[in-house]
Amino acid sequence: MLKVKNISKIFQSGDRQVKAVAGVSLEVPGGIFSVIIGKSGSGKSTLLSLLGALDKPSSGEIEVEGENITKMGDRKLIQYRREKIGFIFQNYNLIPNLSALENVMLPMEFSGIDHKHRKNRAAKLLEQVGITKDKFHRKPSRLSGGEQQRVAIARALANKPKLILADEPTGNLDSATGKIIVGLLKHLAQTEDATIIAVTHDDGIANEAKLTFHLKDGKLAA
Amino acid sequence: MSVLNRGIKNAFRNNIRTASITLILGIAIALSLIMLLSLKTVQARIENVKSSIGNTIAVTPAGIRGFEGGGELLSKTDVENLASIPNIKKISQTLSDRLESQNTNLKSAIEAGTFGRRIQQEANDLPELPREITMPIMVTGTNDLTSTSSLNVSKLDITSGSVFDVNTDQNIALIGTDLATKNNLKVDSTFKAYNKDIKVVGIFDGGNTFANATLFMPLKALQNLTSQTDQISNLIVQTDSIESVASVETALKSKLGDKVDIVSQQDSSVQAIEPLQNIKTISTYSLIGALIAGSVIIFLAMLMIVRERRREIGVLKAIGSSNIKIVSQFTVEAMVLTLMSSVIGVILGFIFSNPVLNMLVTNSQSNPTSVSASGRGFGGAVMRIGGGVMPGIQNTLRDIHAVVGYDIILYGLLAAILIAIIGSAIPAFFIAKIRPAEVMRSE
Repeated sequence: MLKVKNISKIFQSGDRQVKAVAGVSLEVPGGIFSVIIGKSGSGKSTLLSLLGALDKPSSGEIEVEGENITKMGDRKLIQYRREKIGFIFQNYNLIPNLSALENVMLPMEFSGIDHKHRKNRAAKLLEQVGITKDKFHRKPSRLSGGEQQRVAIARALANKPKLILADEPTGNLDSATGKIIVGLLKHLAQTEDATIIAVTHDDGIANEAKLTFHLKDGKLAA
Repeated sequence: MSVLNRGIKNAFRNNIRTASITLILGIAIALSLIMLLSLKTVQARIENVKSSIGNTIAVTPAGIRGFEGGGELLSKTDVENLASIPNIKKISQTLSDRLESQNTNLKSAIEAGTFGRRIQQEANDLPELPREITMPIMVTGTNDLTSTSSLNVSKLDITSGSVFDVNTDQNIALIGTDLATKNNLKVDSTFKAYNKDIKVVGIFDGGNTFANATLFMPLKALQNLTSQTDQISNLIVQTDSIESVASVETALKSKLGDKVDIVSQQDSSVQAIEPLQNIKTISTYSLIGALIAGSVIIFLAMLMIVRERRREIGVLKAIGSSNIKIVSQFTVEAMVLTLMSSVIGVILGFIFSNPVLNMLVTNSQSNPTSVSASGRGFGGAVMRIGGGVMPGIQNTLRDIHAVVGYDIILYGLLAAILIAIIGSAIPAFFIAKIRPAEVMRSE
């Protein structure tokens, strides 16, 4: 499903270059829950942003379902992010003045799905991730951290993506809620037939994954 | 939730900020509208002055000023000779006379005073005047009651009765309010003059004490009563535009030669327009300044909002939004803010347009150059016949009012759209520059 061939990402910091990701190659089959684990500053989030086409690699290639995303133009990349990728962020990154339901409907609006269908699907997804109906119209600030992350997961699933990228999905949650969220992600990987790649520094989450990659100083460790 | 809905909703995200931006921008828009209104009003007045004041030429018999000097009055033939001159809109003819106590039963409404006594003593060559003297009453025969400048009045408001047919030769008159009061005259009353009964058909307010102590009669009637058939003491020639004054003046000199004194009002109209031009200049610069201020306010507000929502923009891009959709959302937000500001601006504009215009007029009048310019010219000769009185010049700044119409709401909307587009154009550039990866880095 996902093939990464020798990608690197170099940032310019003043007059010196920082290699955040250095020649990483990996392969992830479809429909599994996998984890990239590493300490803070190891390049996990940078690697995730490259996989999600949020940033372009300095060198190397990334293939998703046989399509080379590193050669795509800006317009194609927007379409790729919209249709093939779902993002889950550590800080949830929900739009603060939209309700839970409206947040989940948002990616579907960008895909051109009509209002009625996106509302129905958003409601279904929220129920699927465990948000009760009475909280559908609440703003993010009136939801707990766990609930906000559930809404973020529902939003990531909105356009039925094949690849879901999660950046420290339990980083801001207590351990009990974190376990529930990981369980939910694993379950979704099976039911939605989506490949989930989560980056974390938590060994507990790594133990739940079918596939684990260790990242150290921008390189995959053996 | 569409782009439109999100943009509208975002405009009310921070109520205090929204209120502040709306109020400040509303004041800028109000100022723009007020200046636009002032500009339109003053421009209209300038056009009016150009078409009504600057295009008149006073023609008086050479050597005669009022009831002084000497020479020959103009005749009907002289006027008929002028018919062939192009660009003349109309010719107002008057004949003036003084009704002395021996040929009328009217009492003057003006007290003689020191000035009047001295003039009377000199005029009658008397070593000593009796204790009680009566001032003469000025009577003007006219063929045009619409020409206030030829009648030496600043206005001609009929307070009772009606105007007369200027072409008649009947012994009828319009009398000034003070003269009517002094002599207990009402509409349909009669008085004696030139040994005839003259019927009062109307009473007028001429706008000043001198005018209100005078009376008007049909030109032919006065010519007959004073045995001056076809005689004219003053002509006011009105041209079709200010641009044709010079050519008409030349033609008048050519036709009438040395027998008349010709004074055009062209220079005075330029002087009369000067304070209006000052207001126009102030309004124009203030309008430009207010529009720039409005654009800068919304630009800075939108820039602040975009910088504050940098991460959110990154999230929108990460979940598949195009730049156009995000920019549109911010433009709608800017539009909502400016539309609300426009409502405030239009309301403030309605309230303050006339006070601000009055302030501009007052400041313009307090300018010494402007005052002397607007008050000078022909106005000083109001007392005399044939003096070429054109009091309208003094009124260029009087009764000037901004008319607030529905078009101003349209201007307000257009200003809002213009300001919103200008104000959100540069923030749109910053939106496009934000890379979606920033949403990860900021964590």
